[in-house]
Amino acid sequence: MNQSKIFQGLVLALAVAPAFAQTTTTAPPPGRLLASNCFQCHGTNGSGGVDSIRGESVSEIYNEMKEMQRKTPPKMMDMHARGYTDAEIKLLATYLATLR
Amino acid sequence: MVKRRDFIKWTGAAGIGLTAAGWSALAAADDRRTRTATTSAFPTTGIKGRVVVIGGGMGGATVAKYLRFWGGTGVDVTLIERDSAYTSSIMSNLVLNGSRTINSLQFGYGNLASRYGVKIVKGEVVTIDPVGRAVTLASGTRYAYDRLVVAPGVDFDVLPGLETAAAQAKVPHAWTAGPQTTALRNMITAMPAGGVFVMSIPAKPIRCPPGPYERACVVADWLKRNRSGAKVIVLDANASIMAEEHSFLEGFALHGVEYRPGVSINSVDAATLTLNTSEGNVRGNVLNVIPPHRAGKVIAANGLADAGGRWSNVDVLSYETRIAPGIHVIGDASATTQPKAGHIANQEAKVCADAILRLLSGRAPDPSPHTNSACYSPITFETASWLTVNFAYDPVSKTMQPVPASAGEAATRSKDNFEEMNKWFTALMGDSFA
Repeated sequence: MNQSKIFQGLVLALAVAPAFAQTTTTAPPPGRLLASNCFQCHGTNGSGGVDSIRGESVSEIYNEMKEMQRKTPPKMMDMHARGYTDAEIKLLATYLATLR
Repeated sequence: MVKRRDFIKWTGAAGIGLTAAGWSALAAADDRRTRTATTSAFPTTGIKGRVVVIGGGMGGATVAKYLRFWGGTGVDVTLIERDSAYTSSIMSNLVLNGSRTINSLQFGYGNLASRYGVKIVKGEVVTIDPVGRAVTLASGTRYAYDRLVVAPGVDFDVLPGLETAAAQAKVPHAWTAGPQTTALRNMITAMPAGGVFVMSIPAKPIRCPPGPYERACVVADWLKRNRSGAKVIVLDANASIMAEEHSFLEGFALHGVEYRPGVSINSVDAATLTLNTSEGNVRGNVLNVIPPHRAGKVIAANGLADAGGRWSNVDVLSYETRIAPGIHVIGDASATTQPKAGHIANQEAKVCADAILRLLSGRAPDPSPHTNSACYSPITFETASWLTVNFAYDPVSKTMQPVPASAGEAATRSKDNFEEMNKWFTALMGDSFA
């Protein structure tokens, strides 16, 4: 009986631990601020706007932007894409793909 | 004995459990309430703090929205704005040619309140207390903050001859969309055949560098089609066209706009509609004089105009001012290498919101932000050009610098650009106000 109560107490303490950890702050997801450059034209979180980019995979976004970087004559988005490094495109594409 | 030990374990554990679980349950309930009104749930970040935002323009509205959208319900955001709705200066040149109404450019604050839980206060901040960390309104009400964002946009110098409201009514600048825009539209439609529309552009920095040239094109296009023999004269205090030179020179040639660079205004005679300029007197049937700019009054009134007495110097990683810790200045009122314009003010606001959330949780701002400027400019009633540039943080100069390959303008004006412009405007205003 006593042992059982101690066990229950431990279980509760363990169960509470992650919840307690939540009261500290979570770091912003990598790529979120960079990807927010898309939202003025593509809508908040990539929904709506000139065309929606929400729901696209990392490789879809990455490949589209690499293609835009090479496109001539460039339209507005083709110019904009030229402003990011390869690593930055991967970073923002990885974040955007989490917005399912 | 054993029971007492168990009791301590249980109460100890339960004590923590109730606190954490209780907090989470409250946050979840708040999330559910919010979720009924918006498409996205708030994140549970654990970040807590009070942020006051002064000014509900492109920068102020966006920073208020994103502080809650990214920071969650622990971040208490109060937006203080003197007007009940924002009137977009973007697209307002299309009011001058009758293709848009002022009403179509107005955006309220209801979405920020209902979808994001931003507290909207109608009022005007008079005093900022950087030590006590509080602002005081004209009404005397005081709002305490942990972080303050000041986004007042621009204000204008008073040119000699335009000191009175009556003179300003005769010679409107219409560089802040609103009643002056409608007044200028009415003056244009009242112009006779063969009439002359004279506009003057102040030395940079000004809000929306392509905007004055766009206005000259749009007005000249309307006059050409509606007032035979009428013409537009542009007096520019700058040595050359500040943005989209290729597109606007083509537009000026198309519409017969007379462009005179390097001409500044000494004084205005509103009674005779005469401008005294550095190149002599110029008269017109309609005068549209855009005065030199400075940051909104609240900046200088509170000792924050450390950049030439007109603007605020800021650290562009957070937009925190150089002279007042805890006070951030975004958008047109800050002195940076970036243009003063609504599209980029929206992105500066996101950089600022992200930095404030990091600072409230003991983290450093993102060390490598990007911002971008983009806009479309109507050249005729049905065609437009565009301009864009992507800025990246340069750690050496500690400024935002254009990525050269990303800076450019449209090769030609087109109807497609005009259609894209309408979609861009809707998206931009949605990202800022909805």
